[in-house]
Amino acid sequence: MSAPFPKAADRGLACCRTCGKVSPVALGHCPRCGTSLHLRKPASLEGTVALMIAAGALYIPSHLLPIMTTVEIGVVTHHTIIGGMMTFWETGAYPIAIVIFTASILIPFLRIAALSWLCAAASGKMHPSPEALGRVYLVTELLGRWSMIDIFVVGIMVSVVQLGNYMAVTPGPGALAFAGVVVLTMFAAMRFEPRLLWDRLDEMNTEAAPASPTTIES
Amino acid sequence: MKKGFSKTWRAMLSWPRPPGGPHYSACHFCDTLHQSFPVEEGTAARCIRCGALLYQNRPASLARASAFSLAALLMMVLVHMFPFLTMDAAMMRRNLTLTGAATALIDENAPILGVSIILFTIVTPLLLAGGMIYVCLPLMFGRMAPGAFTAAKWMYLSEPWNMVEVFLLGVLVSLLKLAKVADVHFGIGFWAFAGVMLCMAAAVAGIDREELWDRLEVAQR
Repeated sequence: MSAPFPKAADRGLACCRTCGKVSPVALGHCPRCGTSLHLRKPASLEGTVALMIAAGALYIPSHLLPIMTTVEIGVVTHHTIIGGMMTFWETGAYPIAIVIFTASILIPFLRIAALSWLCAAASGKMHPSPEALGRVYLVTELLGRWSMIDIFVVGIMVSVVQLGNYMAVTPGPGALAFAGVVVLTMFAAMRFEPRLLWDRLDEMNTEAAPASPTTIES
Repeated sequence: MKKGFSKTWRAMLSWPRPPGGPHYSACHFCDTLHQSFPVEEGTAARCIRCGALLYQNRPASLARASAFSLAALLMMVLVHMFPFLTMDAAMMRRNLTLTGAATALIDENAPILGVSIILFTIVTPLLLAGGMIYVCLPLMFGRMAPGAFTAAKWMYLSEPWNMVEVFLLGVLVSLLKLAKVADVHFGIGFWAFAGVMLCMAAAVAGIDREELWDRLEVAQR
């Protein structure tokens, strides 16, 4: 059974990742904007997995180490992301606690989980269901930036709360680790090639239904 | 295209096709090859296989993109002139600005975080709005600004790193944190930054990526 949908890659055509022009991959560079042409992003799976492992490794210290330290009349307090969220929850600020929980704990974790799932599917270790996974990929790409909120909060607090001996805030090492998680997962999501999912699906379909002699080439 | 049309007149028309063809577009998700046809203004072309958006024809695209990015640039000036928050505590008044937040982090031995704030909230919005107006305004008159291809490339590269709306939510969270210990007010900077966010979203959504590149290709000749 031949694939009913023509693929650009099967005809040696590549879609420029900058300007979207479809041109023969043999040209090497897009004739319109000069970006290098590839049928698929080169080494996309390896790159995604490597960036993801790095992000996963930073995820743990980002939650264990303090993201900021307050000195209030000589009393030093270390704040972690989870601690800050718990304070909001205990004081009854539920919406803001939920926002922080979603942006800094849930989203980075879900992104790493989703990308592992996508990589497993794209490398053929799981059944690829590209419609659903494509949606997962889109959401992963859209939500990534929101995790940066904690870094911005640290920056704002450090800048505003400088009240001499009365109260001062300094950034902690957890903030740097967390910024690393956010930036690395963003790069990992950009590196991933969703077309691989469809390639895998087509491969599986051709394996399942070997070409019969009556098949008409379209 | 009829001969004798001036370049300016041609630029007013909706979405010119670059000469040559047939034109193709490939789906970014499933790589299905489509022959691309012009679609009516206000409508979009979707992939026949996975339904992802291929391209859309936005009405008054160049005018909208340049107008909204100009508005965003003007409001960016306000953002840097007025504070986001003003806090009164312990007989002191502290103001929050974007550069203030970044320099505070750099001073407190977190230079990477400070630089990332500068990159994500000052440099990328500037690249995006500035690049958009630099590319689109001359295109309205059928001309191509020098280096417009490079500008467009950098503009689309910086797009995912634009975190204006995330910073705004960060200001709200900090406001709630600080409200317990001090007297905090919103400043003009906050509202101007919200305006920047809306205008940038409208400018980016105002013109399709394929349309912008097609227009650049037409103007180049």
